[in-house]
Amino acid sequence: MRMIEILLTVIAMLLALTLAGVSFIAYRKSHLRAALYLLIAFLLFAIKKVIEALSISRGIEKDIGLLINSLEVLVLLLLILALWRR
Amino acid sequence: MERRGEILNYITHRPGVTFRELARALGLGIGDLQYHLRVLEREGKVFSRKLGKRRYIFPAGFEGEYEKLVIAISTETRRRILLLLMEGPKSQSEIASALGISQPTVSYHMWELKKLGTVSDRREGKKVVYSLNYDPELIARIIRNYRPGIWETLADRLIDILTSLGDEND
Repeated sequence: MRMIEILLTVIAMLLALTLAGVSFIAYRKSHLRAALYLLIAFLLFAIKKVIEALSISRGIEKDIGLLINSLEVLVLLLLILALWRR
Repeated sequence: MERRGEILNYITHRPGVTFRELARALGLGIGDLQYHLRVLEREGKVFSRKLGKRRYIFPAGFEGEYEKLVIAISTETRRRILLLLMEGPKSQSEIASALGISQPTVSYHMWELKKLGTVSDRREGKKVVYSLNYDPELIARIIRNYRPGIWETLADRLIDILTSLGDEND
């Protein structure tokens, strides 16, 4: 069960990095601020997934609840910003 | 030497020609053309740039124009707008309805193209009409041969989605 959890976390992380890559190219081409916000949001999401994967595999023993929740709020705020401002 | 002059003359009159087109137009072998182009590049008479999957050749002095043109054709919507403007001047609403995209998206791209100097606008009554500032042949040549990779295609789509979200310009 833990293996499947880690596998899904890694897939989510890879997808987030792919989207971050696409956002980076889009920002370089257009200089749209929204693309920059998306790039940061996807990178933060990937970091969140790394922390979660480490936590599942017992690489991190500390309580990560606060950190994960903070990252989630940041990601959502950046997504709102991307919708709000071009 | 005479052959090289012929190549330089062709590039000068058709900036943005691809290697393959040049070889075909002048009936030259690949090795032969590669050699002459290397010499011309070394002498600073021409320069080449890879864009998408193709290499384009330009006469010296075209560097500034090239950079602007690359940015201008960097998204699919802009390429479609430029190709449409090759038919003649068009207003924002005409462009939007011809391409099936929203007016805010057109407005954003026209603002960008105007900033790059690729298009110019003039007021006709209540409408603003846009027209190309470049030789349509040059734009057609570059766009026709432009083959973006998968990453660039995805990025273009993201730009199109983001630009159609609101109607404010940066």
